[in-house]
Amino acid sequence: MISLTSPVETWAHRWPAGLKLGSLCIATLFLFSQEALWFHASVFAATLLLYCLPGALFFTSGIRRLFALWPFVVLVLIWHFLIDARVEGLVVTLRLLSAVAIANLVTMTTKLSQIIDVIRWISSPLRRFGLDTRVLEIGIALVIRFAPTLIDKGGQLAQSWSARSHKKPRWKIVMPFAVLAIDDAEHVANAIKARGGL
Amino acid sequence: MERKIALIALFAAFIAALGLIPKFTLAFGIPITAQSLGIMLCGTVLGAKRGALAVLLFLLLVAMGLPLLAGGRGGLGLFVSPSAGFLIGWPVAAFVTGLIVEKWRAAPLSIVAGIGSVIGGIIVLYPFGIIGLSIVLEKSIVESTLLMAAFIPGDAIKAVLAGAITAALAKARPMSVLSRA
Amino acid sequence: MNRNLLISDSDNLSATIEMTGVSFSREGSTLLSDIGLSVREKRIGIVGRNGSGKTTLALVLSGLAVAAQGEVRICGVDVVKDRKAALRTVGILFQNPDHQIIFSTVEEELGFGLLQMGHSKSETAQKVAAVLQGFDKDHWAKAPTFQLSQGQKKLVCLMAILAMKPKVVILDEPFAGLDMPTRLQLTRYFDRIDAALIHISHSPESLRDYERVIWLDNGRIKQDGSAAATLSAFTKHMYDLGGQDDISDLTG
Repeated sequence: MISLTSPVETWAHRWPAGLKLGSLCIATLFLFSQEALWFHASVFAATLLLYCLPGALFFTSGIRRLFALWPFVVLVLIWHFLIDARVEGLVVTLRLLSAVAIANLVTMTTKLSQIIDVIRWISSPLRRFGLDTRVLEIGIALVIRFAPTLIDKGGQLAQSWSARSHKKPRWKIVMPFAVLAIDDAEHVANAIKARGGL
Repeated sequence: MERKIALIALFAAFIAALGLIPKFTLAFGIPITAQSLGIMLCGTVLGAKRGALAVLLFLLLVAMGLPLLAGGRGGLGLFVSPSAGFLIGWPVAAFVTGLIVEKWRAAPLSIVAGIGSVIGGIIVLYPFGIIGLSIVLEKSIVESTLLMAAFIPGDAIKAVLAGAITAALAKARPMSVLSRA
Repeated sequence: MNRNLLISDSDNLSATIEMTGVSFSREGSTLLSDIGLSVREKRIGIVGRNGSGKTTLALVLSGLAVAAQGEVRICGVDVVKDRKAALRTVGILFQNPDHQIIFSTVEEELGFGLLQMGHSKSETAQKVAAVLQGFDKDHWAKAPTFQLSQGQKKLVCLMAILAMKPKVVILDEPFAGLDMPTRLQLTRYFDRIDAALIHISHSPESLRDYERVIWLDNGRIKQDGSAAATLSAFTKHMYDLGGQDDISDLTG
């Protein structure tokens, strides 16, 4: 499974993941406490600048991901235009875009293995309460391993539907698909047991 | 133990797959994602605790930056986006749905699972989504509710499907429907 | 290519398999009934039709399925009760590699069993590297398991098992769905394994050179003896059945 970490290596890739996540929390809280238009305009401009620095490839892949927000942006702008509150509309839009963009920036500059290390660190106090954190790590590994396999199998079911119907596959394939997932789970349980269990 | 972990992990992967199978739309050509159907099924099949754990595991991987949400989305940005409330409400929805299926054994499974999905996947989930939307977009609760109301019919259909699918799974793989095991 | 034997640091290579009165049933249907078996040979074949209980026998032998009655001991280890010792004693290659591979990269997959056995991370890394080297597959370490071909996945599963240095390796229809070159290549790897092999198959050709072949039918042992005798009786019976139409019989 390919994570959304950017292949373009930036200076931020080398920062400790915990530091980035911590600053992200503070930045987001601060962003939502401010209401001034000039503040949000300058934060958004600064964020765009951060996206520009690593180069064109990084910029375009980052901006493309912000485009998923367009329905909300259109909605907010039209709404506030209609109720004649354009400044508030701009504030809400800019804040939304900056908050998502900054959070995505952390995702894009942090490798999956670093994030797993942070999770291990955060979950380590749980070990004192008798919770086995290795189970969590195996759970994560299993999802990363089986999500592409299941997507593939689901695609095959959809294909098998299309081979016999001119309509698009619909909910009827969800039941056999769930059976596949359940059967996979039973096999994996055996595979884990065969090598020592949990 | 191994079975439970494997089922939890495979259902987390199953939620992801429901949103990412190419050329798959749910019903009536509505381009809405089947992922919320996956959330309901986690509750109805795995039960309250394990269903919620499967959804939490899925969300953890999304937060870690894996593109597992419908449309290949993922990463931390989602948790400050207008739909963040729904994501946060998902594990609770799966828990409540599962709890209803575990406790209410008097009626046929398809009906219990369907009603459980309506209660968990709509009545419990929407307040989370609506509050999230009103915070991020600075709308009042009433305005946010009106905006979200458009999605309720789609989720009601999914709840009915979740009921039918759960009953069929209980016939096909009775041992694996942990909510009734 | 490296021609050395695979798994070579086991102290005592003689393996014994003892099964007494083993019966197994699931959801009302009996899959194995009263199997008794004592094996000292190093190359054992098991033949039988689909549904004859071969895979169940493999799961019972490896301790993954628990028989209702009877006992299974491999090299003296009760594979059900003593799971820790069972890991060092018996490895199983599942029929479908997609059911066996748990991790996303080859090196994680190979390391998992070793970590489970209590090896440290650095020991595990060393052993994984050694196994990969034994198979001339050093360049596979970081390869994503999901993108491998079916034959390559099979080989990863085999390496993962051999990394744990078992005394008995069970192969459950290892050639299912593979083309001829891949079968021949895998056969070469199997030949280099110095542990005892239990090879389950429904094609007699792959078991010709084995020391002993057991024919399983309807969950019972129908014939047990030399490869030549068992396989010719089995083949003849299969041709006889091929002329009939028992495909129409529904079970249960």
